[in-house]
Amino acid sequence: MVTPESPEALAETLAEAARQGQAVVPVGGGRAATMGTAPERRDLEVGTAGLDRVIEHSQADLTCTVEAGLTLERLQQQLAGAGQFLPLDPRNSPGHTVGGALASGWTGPLRLRFGSPREFVIGLRVALPDGRLVRSGGRVVKNVSGYDLNKLHLGALGTLGVIVEASFKVFPQPAARATLERIAEDADSAWAEANRLLKLAQLPWALELERDAQGTLRLVTLIAGPRSAVERLASEIGWAESSESWEERARITSAHWAKISGPRAALPGIVAQLPPTAHWIAQPGIGTADWLDAADPETIFAIRAVAERAGGSLVLLAASDEVKREVGVWGAEHPALDLMLRLRDAFDPGRTINPGRYVV
Amino acid sequence: MTLATKILRDLQQAIGAENVVHDELDLRIFERDASIAGAIPDAVVLPATTDEVAAVVRIAARHDLPVVPRGAGTGLSGGAVTSHGGLALQVTRMRRILEIDTFGGTALVEPGVVNADLTAAAARHGLFYAPDPSSQKACTIGGNAAENSGGPHCLYYGVTTNHVLGLEVVLPDGKVSWLGGAADLPGLDLLGVVVGSEGTLGTITKVLVRLLPIPEAVITLMAAFPTIDAASQAVSEVIGRGIVPAALEMMDHVTVGAVEAHYHAGYPTDAGAVLLAEVDGIEEAAAEHAEAIRKVLHDNEATHLRQAADPAERELLWAGRKGAIGALGRIKPNYYLHDGVVPRTRLPEILRQVGEIGRAYELPVANVFHAGDGNLHPNLLFDLREEGVLEQVEKAAAEMLHACIELGGTLSGEHGIGLEKSAFMPWVFSPDDLDAMRRVKDVFDPRGLLNPGKIFPDETAEEPKVVARTGLAAEANWW
Repeated sequence: MVTPESPEALAETLAEAARQGQAVVPVGGGRAATMGTAPERRDLEVGTAGLDRVIEHSQADLTCTVEAGLTLERLQQQLAGAGQFLPLDPRNSPGHTVGGALASGWTGPLRLRFGSPREFVIGLRVALPDGRLVRSGGRVVKNVSGYDLNKLHLGALGTLGVIVEASFKVFPQPAARATLERIAEDADSAWAEANRLLKLAQLPWALELERDAQGTLRLVTLIAGPRSAVERLASEIGWAESSESWEERARITSAHWAKISGPRAALPGIVAQLPPTAHWIAQPGIGTADWLDAADPETIFAIRAVAERAGGSLVLLAASDEVKREVGVWGAEHPALDLMLRLRDAFDPGRTINPGRYVV
Repeated sequence: MTLATKILRDLQQAIGAENVVHDELDLRIFERDASIAGAIPDAVVLPATTDEVAAVVRIAARHDLPVVPRGAGTGLSGGAVTSHGGLALQVTRMRRILEIDTFGGTALVEPGVVNADLTAAAARHGLFYAPDPSSQKACTIGGNAAENSGGPHCLYYGVTTNHVLGLEVVLPDGKVSWLGGAADLPGLDLLGVVVGSEGTLGTITKVLVRLLPIPEAVITLMAAFPTIDAASQAVSEVIGRGIVPAALEMMDHVTVGAVEAHYHAGYPTDAGAVLLAEVDGIEEAAAEHAEAIRKVLHDNEATHLRQAADPAERELLWAGRKGAIGALGRIKPNYYLHDGVVPRTRLPEILRQVGEIGRAYELPVANVFHAGDGNLHPNLLFDLREEGVLEQVEKAAAEMLHACIELGGTLSGEHGIGLEKSAFMPWVFSPDDLDAMRRVKDVFDPRGLLNPGKIFPDETAEEPKVVARTGLAAEANWW
């Protein structure tokens, strides 16, 4: 494991590894280390812990540029000083680095209101396997200068290059917020209630439907905004105030973890196929669900088939090597895989970074 | 150059003779977009289906003929100009709204659907399509996706890329591919790179867009300021206070004069600058944000502070803003504008510089722009009949863009690089940055047949040429 102290040094490490034909596994906070197929080769781990500076926080512009090794918690701390925040709240927190969270593509419940990082990353600096450092986007909130290469690196597990710096559009903290919850009697009423919330005059910031190991179906939502708006929404929702902390919810993790995704209308049907004892948390407004005890290969296979038939997917975020081998991490081949493979080849012809771990 | 008879016949066979335009006079209609560049295509094809688009693209590939996808031709950067000859592939016959999914909040449309028509269709279901370019009465969703277009309400809602969920594209080899879709699929975000690629990576044949619920309340505020500086300061302070309005637009004294003469919207013509601010959402939130904005404006020397009393008054204020550039015709018959971006706190500084550059070139400048985003639109006003004026205009515009870059900004916020700004790309991107973009281009379009000459600087040019000396420049000789 090497931890370069500068973007230039990191790029040079990559280039040297590429020249030697070594395989590099980039490591941020290690929070998404379980993700992906086991790399075919693993000669060198390159850590980003040495890149942890806040480069610029332009408070009045609501933008922030940081190095990739900074943890999300430290970034949030920096932003909180100005009454701002970044709406990125991946599970298995704390400890995600900015670069790791972007490269893994992991998102959390706030995606309902703010979208995934593709909606608020405004610039990236990436170290390529040939040793070059390239920028895309910029530090302004609106930008159509050249190709939007930022998006190619989000969720790509570093396969086109290692993110060393990121610029974000950040958001003002709301004046008020409230967390509400409700226990649902059965699945039908739970989904109906979720859909009712999604049709309110203002979209909640977060909404999750969780089925715990005891079989309890619980809805949790976060609403935020000016105080008067939060009060009105809370009364329209009519759920109980919750002592649930979203920070605590972000700590949720599992060693047997499958991420299900599907069109919103299809999600209840997919989730209904999960074993009656399964522990899962669905995000009804996003069309995703975390299945937290996905251990049995046959069942995983069956659920994946259901999800894919509905136009969705099932990806293993954490699983034993055995399960990964048996059912595969990523599922059906993407219809545009050919283009993706050629892009991989254009950026990393020697397959230096994470060979065999991602879909390309 | 006229098209070889064999190619013409192939095209006619593929999509019908009536859908291939090749008469010299007819072709002139397709010479320009809304920029000042222009070139006459060898032929214009108007396919009606994805299969026909694919057939045309395959024929072109067989004959090494460039293909330039084209929507309504309202683009402002020369993106739809056939600068390297070849076919203009006009998608305006593909104009059906295929599906509106009210539960999922999406619409599947063909690329030729007009932006405002989609919003009108969505409104019947209580929904709207957020990106609203000023040309929305004419511009197409396909063109919007290709250019990653913006608009006044993109401050809060985001630009086109934030609202496109999926695309069907015909790749330069004629293959049809779906990118993105209604759910997360594992794999590289090709959708994200094709949106905004200005028709250089694929021809868009279907677009899946997000629709949003029409907000419960909308409050539109108008305020006058003695100077642009004071108005810019107010903009910075609104955002700095943590209020992100749906829209925050500025017009300077010159623009307001022209707009008011045309629209009679009640804009104060003695103001140095006018701000238009809009907040929307749930009633309580809109009211509270409006109050906070009103206070900031008031603390920053605002006068004539007014709230639109009803939808009609609101419409009128917006008609003035969105029709501003047309209204400028009252001052001079021609205009030229870039859309450089600066961090919004640098607005006062960049607007001072823009004013100085205009004065140095003795060209009137009318500013009308998305202040909340820091996205400028300095309109240089001129009369093409004045000897040599176009060259001065281009130089002045380039200097203004350069000033944006110096302040940490960028070349374009929503119009695209196209033909006119490709030479300036090295101002913001290093050769390595550009090489990374080039690699993507080569993967999608290894033969460089799709919309050549756009985005990337022409490495063979001895000195960066400002824009192609065609289009409007050629018209100068008419007088």
